[in-house]
Amino acid sequence: MSFLEVFQYTRQDSVMHRLDPRSKLVLSIVCATVSMMFMEIIPLLMVFTCLLPLIAAAKSLGRWAKSMKGLGALLVFVLVFNTLLSPMEYPFSYSLSLAIRLVALMTSFSLFFLTVQPDQLSQALIQMRVKFEFAFAMSMAMRYVPTLGQEAYAIMDAQRARGVELDKGNIVKRIRNIIPIIVPLIIVSIRRALSIAESMESRGFGVSENRTYMEMLRFRKRDWALVLSSLLILILVIYVRFFVGLPGWMMWNLPF
Amino acid sequence: MIILEDVHYSYDGVYTALRGISLQVDDGERFAVIGANGAGKTTMVKHMNGLLRPQKGRVILDGRDTKFMSVAEIARKVGLVFQNPDHQLFLDSVKKEVEFGLRNIGFTESEAAQRRQKTLASLGLEGFAERSPFTLSGGERKRVALASVLSTEPRFLALDEPTIGQDAHQKNQLAQMLAEMNKRGRTVVVVTHDIEFVIENFPRTIAMADGQIIADGSTNMVLSNDEVIERCSLAPPQMTLAARALRNVFPEVGQRLTLLSELEETIMGILGGA
Amino acid sequence: MALIEFADFSFKYLGADSLALKRIKLTIDNGEYVVITGPSGCGKTTFCRAINALVPQFHRGYVAGNVYTDGKNTREYEVATFASVAGLVFQNPENQLVTLDVEKEIAFGPENLGVAPSEIRRRVEELIELLDLEELREKHPHEMSGGEQQRVAIAATLALKPKVLVADEPTSNLDPQSAEAILEIIAHLNKRGMAVVLVEHRLDLVAKDASRIILMDKGRIVADGDPREVLAMDLCEEIGVGVPKATQVYKRLKTRGIELGNVPLTGVELAELVQEATSR
Repeated sequence: MSFLEVFQYTRQDSVMHRLDPRSKLVLSIVCATVSMMFMEIIPLLMVFTCLLPLIAAAKSLGRWAKSMKGLGALLVFVLVFNTLLSPMEYPFSYSLSLAIRLVALMTSFSLFFLTVQPDQLSQALIQMRVKFEFAFAMSMAMRYVPTLGQEAYAIMDAQRARGVELDKGNIVKRIRNIIPIIVPLIIVSIRRALSIAESMESRGFGVSENRTYMEMLRFRKRDWALVLSSLLILILVIYVRFFVGLPGWMMWNLPF
Repeated sequence: MIILEDVHYSYDGVYTALRGISLQVDDGERFAVIGANGAGKTTMVKHMNGLLRPQKGRVILDGRDTKFMSVAEIARKVGLVFQNPDHQLFLDSVKKEVEFGLRNIGFTESEAAQRRQKTLASLGLEGFAERSPFTLSGGERKRVALASVLSTEPRFLALDEPTIGQDAHQKNQLAQMLAEMNKRGRTVVVVTHDIEFVIENFPRTIAMADGQIIADGSTNMVLSNDEVIERCSLAPPQMTLAARALRNVFPEVGQRLTLLSELEETIMGILGGA
Repeated sequence: MALIEFADFSFKYLGADSLALKRIKLTIDNGEYVVITGPSGCGKTTFCRAINALVPQFHRGYVAGNVYTDGKNTREYEVATFASVAGLVFQNPENQLVTLDVEKEIAFGPENLGVAPSEIRRRVEELIELLDLEELREKHPHEMSGGEQQRVAIAATLALKPKVLVADEPTSNLDPQSAEAILEIIAHLNKRGMAVVLVEHRLDLVAKDASRIILMDKGRIVADGDPREVLAMDLCEEIGVGVPKATQVYKRLKTRGIELGNVPLTGVELAELVQEATSR
């Protein structure tokens, strides 16, 4: 699942990382919307080439490239499958644009997830008036996902050592073999949740109506600049796409 | 007999957890593996029962390369008791829990029941047979997990940090039980940070650091080596500190004192004459 | 007024067969360093939870008698009331770190209580320095060792400025060197004036720092006093307490007719006593 890495926060010191999560959310949504508006190869390639410098600004090109390599198999699948089954006039061109659109969409959202730390995300949500408990629960889920993963591996080891053969037998047997993994996982998770709750309760979680925050996210000039230019581009693209129409050369297709 | 030959292993291809482990474990041995967290102790033990397979080198169990054996097959000979009992308990009675492992590795129903009974009795758990493991205390759950492995009577038994969370009485019980198993010809390997437990119960100690064995020999010799203590993130045992302080004044005190009874005799020697 | 007062307090968890605490009577004052020990299931953990009202407010059950922490009855006030009086540190550090970042973790408690942001920032910086967390500042909990995680957990508790640190087996998941480092921090905090209640099996490491040891067995307090007096009792072996090796040697010598004068708690103390005995 290495292509998912592109949605995983990495600590870096970059222009993109320093921006407010809210302005990056706008940017990501605008980029995604723009990619969704086109089905033609040339405009999609243009969108794509605009996204790359943004990833570079987040100092994450290496990681991005690695993820895209991981995505390779899926892209080939999209290409082959659609080319064979599409009722379109130029099935390959159509599939190619689908594939480019997929990459552009992933890249748009990765701009947000690569550069926003989960705690920051919850802080942003809180400042967008989401209830603190809800926002915090979300960032805590992200905090404990890797822990849960480690636990699942440890349980699998413990059961295999007792002779449970996870990858043998027919479907029924395999499904039955999941029980010795799932039950302990649920039980250790409940125990863990209780123990986490105890610790949080002891530190005054949820008590004060007037919870404070050591650091509030601040919308700076650069954030306004980003939001305004994103919106401007969006309006421009909508205008060209729906009211002016694309020039002929942009409608170019491969002849098959 | 288990032989590890130049075993290398890396979890992610970047960081090497084991770099060239060679080790021979004879039948009827009893030894401890010590080392700092991340030194590779657990990784090494997992190679002994086939949970991990060497990326380079070989593991040979009773003359057969484990590459050609399934974990279930190895489990009949090599039992591994994990640190956290909650990672394996999942059935609604202690009885079923113990029989589960036995049935898995091919015992018939009646054989399994018989062995279950015997093992629970030997661990003082007869009264718990019908109880749900989830209603037991941490120490009791740990014993149930141990029982489920012991019941298969593996010739080699490895335990990962068995003393964590156990009080002095429970530790003594555990030590006695391991000694008994060992007396009956079974090999006992313990991975632990509990240096006092090692000193009192294990004649041989293997020290690991950075995926390698840095010392292997008599417990007395390995644990009186300061470099080993330091690299294994251990604290020098109280008896060693006492002996050193005494040696400054009474040069007749030996170089390698670790057992409590030895120190007692030494002090008797010093004061008895006075 | 005592910092903590147990007034004939008993507690039974919902669904349990027997009492976890039976008629506990004691007081703990400012500045004390109390070590609580006893066999598994003796009630140590319940005792800690009773100090900040987790028992009976979070863990419900049958209650008799009262506990007063900082003069407030734990049956009448919610757990959060005690957050800035008694700071609890638990066994598993992983379960105490709920954010992804050291600064946020330390800030979590004071933020909950509505402390002013500038004051929170000040406490965060102070604790990062006090507990030597500078190089962990940028680390994710997963990148830390157990000892490092526990140091952060202690800092997060101290951020609430409690009068007493209550630590329930904070070292039992750690390797010996990390354990010693944590115990040193706790001893240091006590020297700076903070009261400490520590549940610990490894008496070898803590007996020397404690001002008082309480032995518990089956929910009762069976001994309470000066560490040397308590550990010299035969009761310790009877109920299964891990008496320091040096103290064990002392006891064995005593049965053989050799009296060392004082009860040693460490190997070095033992050696000193032997030396003194020869020069007498």
